[in-house]
Amino acid sequence: VTGSELLALCKDALRAAGEAEVEICARSRHRGVARVAIGELSQHMDLVEPQAIVRVAHGSRVAEVATSVLDRETLLACIADAARAARLVPKTEGFEGFSGDHPGGDEPCRYAASTASADAEERVDRLAPLLASIRAAGLVSAGYLETSTASVAVATTRGCARAHDSTMATYKVWALETPGAGGAAGYGGHLHKDVGALRLAEETDRAIRIAKMSRNPASLDAGVYDVVMEPPAVSELLEWLATITFGAPEVEQGTSALAGRIGDLITGEHVDIVEDPLDPSDLGFGAPFDREGTWRRKVSLIERGRAKGILYDRTYAARMKSRSTGSAILPEFGVAGVGTTCCQLAGGDASSVDELVRGMDRGLYVCRLHYVNGLLEPRRAVMTGLTRDGCFLVEKGKIVRPVGNLRFTDSFLEGLARCDGMTKERAAIPTWWSDAGACVAPAIRMRGFLFNGRSQQQPEELGGERGR
Amino acid sequence: MSAMTARAGDAHQTAVEEAMRAALDELRRAGDVRYAEVRFVSETTEKLRVRDGRPEQVATLRTRGVAIRVLGDKAWGFACSPELDEAGVVGAARRALAVARASGRVAHAPVLFPPREGAVGAYATRIEIDPFSVPLEDKLALLDAPVRALLASGKPVQSAEAWMEWTRVDKRLLTTEGTDTTQRFTYGACGMHVIAVDAAGVAQKRSYPTWQGCEGFQGGFERIAELDLTGHVDRLRSEAIQLLTAPPCPEAPRDLLLESSQVALQIHESCGHPAELDRALGAEISLAGGSFLQPKMLGKLEYGAKIVDLVADATTQGGMGTFGWDDEGTPAGKRPLIERGRFVDYLSSRESAAALARESTGTMRADGWSRPPLIRMVNVSLEPRSGSLEDLVADTKDGVLMATDKSWSIDDLRLNFQFSCEIAWEIKNGKRTRMLRDPFYTGVTPAFWRSCDAICGPEEWHLWGINSCGKGDPMQVMQVGHGAAAARFKNVTIGNAGHA
Repeated sequence: VTGSELLALCKDALRAAGEAEVEICARSRHRGVARVAIGELSQHMDLVEPQAIVRVAHGSRVAEVATSVLDRETLLACIADAARAARLVPKTEGFEGFSGDHPGGDEPCRYAASTASADAEERVDRLAPLLASIRAAGLVSAGYLETSTASVAVATTRGCARAHDSTMATYKVWALETPGAGGAAGYGGHLHKDVGALRLAEETDRAIRIAKMSRNPASLDAGVYDVVMEPPAVSELLEWLATITFGAPEVEQGTSALAGRIGDLITGEHVDIVEDPLDPSDLGFGAPFDREGTWRRKVSLIERGRAKGILYDRTYAARMKSRSTGSAILPEFGVAGVGTTCCQLAGGDASSVDELVRGMDRGLYVCRLHYVNGLLEPRRAVMTGLTRDGCFLVEKGKIVRPVGNLRFTDSFLEGLARCDGMTKERAAIPTWWSDAGACVAPAIRMRGFLFNGRSQQQPEELGGERGR
Repeated sequence: MSAMTARAGDAHQTAVEEAMRAALDELRRAGDVRYAEVRFVSETTEKLRVRDGRPEQVATLRTRGVAIRVLGDKAWGFACSPELDEAGVVGAARRALAVARASGRVAHAPVLFPPREGAVGAYATRIEIDPFSVPLEDKLALLDAPVRALLASGKPVQSAEAWMEWTRVDKRLLTTEGTDTTQRFTYGACGMHVIAVDAAGVAQKRSYPTWQGCEGFQGGFERIAELDLTGHVDRLRSEAIQLLTAPPCPEAPRDLLLESSQVALQIHESCGHPAELDRALGAEISLAGGSFLQPKMLGKLEYGAKIVDLVADATTQGGMGTFGWDDEGTPAGKRPLIERGRFVDYLSSRESAAALARESTGTMRADGWSRPPLIRMVNVSLEPRSGSLEDLVADTKDGVLMATDKSWSIDDLRLNFQFSCEIAWEIKNGKRTRMLRDPFYTGVTPAFWRSCDAICGPEEWHLWGINSCGKGDPMQVMQVGHGAAAARFKNVTIGNAGHA
């Protein structure tokens, strides 16, 4: 189903329903997902994910009904059900009607026919030599190759009519010492609209190289360390920062670091963070309009370390006397909200990660993070999480040995304030909890980051067969 | 007439069943299909949220479709379809088979999948009041009243929110082995929280009945009255305000008392997930990670103290992890995972159990019709011992009691964890003394459970429900249950987030 076909369906339903104030956001995704585990293709999926979200307003009383059935009859039934519910609900303060026929802008191309046409056979053919190379290295492969096509359309009774088609190819690969029991591990990954442009071999080689470097880790005590983090690690922190900080709901509730502090210095003066959903480069992902049909725009969120911008949907914007930034995100797992689709941390001038590593007398080089949580103290963006898939001790500017995984607990905003090096090159990392898009991050070096715990990885450290 | 047809009672459902059987017939004829399952799922969810006196969300989500999982000569294939006519369902079956054949080309060894006799029957959640029959305005009024009461006294209360969620799932499973099961589930969740903010912008939150996401159950609208949201408004607001000026939780090893829902989270993260056999074998690296609980430890590893008994029970009345059959036709059961502190079994599937020459423990469930089943927790619960929480406090000389989870993080083998809570109280000489803010505790799973020296009794035991357990890639969310009573752990590292 193309975006244009979805839009035609939505407009037809709007015309036929006869309700005065209706919005339909329809989307359809077709995903081919080849999942690898224990060196085999363990789950290979051909997924179809249609959804239409219908909202009806009676004045400022708004109700929503969503369906997975994309046909005229079902959409009309949804409109009728939402209209009935809208009569019963209290008023939504700030609701000023659905989007009208506002002009959009230049639409970035997010579509590659090569990805759209990739089938199960092609995914298998692309993966087979990669898995073989990991096996040849004496390691166990795991990972994921996805080729997906997404179409989205938004139409309202006020004349908004938008449609967009996109593709996304995602490759994630692990080279492992053991299938599931821990030990050395290396990771590689790449995201691109064109499956043919994925750096499959390069990222696989990287995973193998990191895994080999990670063998026989030494134990390192918890403490305060300088740290260089690769883009996948930085992206985890950035995604959490975006979740707890930049949306109008978090600002209104007073839990965001931006609440009451616009214009204040909240991190280092070298830190710039933008929401750039229209980025036309290969780092940009997501549709150019939000679920309300508002054309997205670039928003400076933190500029030279100062709190600058907040992301709004139409209702929050009206209530907080601003204008929508096109940040009403599509609900994933049923959760709607206001958020980023392409949150980007600006890069620096370091030519490589090696250059950042060379600038540490003693510290850690961290490839990736695991299970980060940013809810400890959102106002300061205090986060905790663990290293994963490569953590190394650096002495006198050189990686000297792998170390066991460590837990960190520190404020990301304060860590960024102590950041004194970022690479010029950045990478787009898919956001893992939603389909909202990607985060874009450079590798960074932060001084004095708190690692407060050590993860025990060796089974013998468990006390093994005590009492036996 | 089948159960599904009898209940739905319309031609449409009969047509869906015929399409499902046609798909199975086609797969049987294929010649290289060792097993196939066709699963119809219809799901309706109602989400209601009132924030600061206005409706933040009034939404109904409906989804339905068919999932088809095929085991070819060597490998699995999965496809799904929202189209429920014969062309749509049979088409999905063909796509699933094509995927299985493509994957089979590069498989080194055929998937182990021992056959089992088909299961036939029906299961339905016991409910007294159908939540979907309760008028929308009545439900919203039940949420609006406590929110207005929480906001009534003004500053420093900044925001208040109450929510209610209902999900109805109808599921029909047909397999090439003759399984034909029909299941209807009704899940609910309801709660509220309040946020207070001081002059410096520091915020504190208190939630009831516990952190959002752990308050779920399987049952009807009758469960809402038991919650009595309005009856807990004054305490909740008072605690949020007091936390603004409370001292931070000290940083030192202490005896740690966890209230029931925090024990539930502890079970979820440090017992439930590591006991998933797919993780242990390496099938979930691409998102979740592995497990420290390796097969060689079965029956040997001293996971916890001898008072620790953890049971996986898919038959517990009212649990979010309760069902009749899992999504590959294995009947629900009850099995110990940790027996007198010793690790004795996994949560498993037919395929993963076969790798250890064991029987499936019946835990394969899928999130809706567009995902394949995975090993998921059922109700993984800690058996109660004796005494009340106040008895436990009275028995503690120097400790800290923590309640209501705020953040959660654990490593990829489920060893090193760190959880923070909304609130804590210092315990001195058997009495609760001052309130403490921003508490967290951290530890390593087996050492932590080995340090458990007291578990409260049945009067403190509550069956909590997590309605958004994430696993799989692409992510699937699932309802799981955890029964727990408050418990005490000796000499645990505690701290406060404000110090980080």
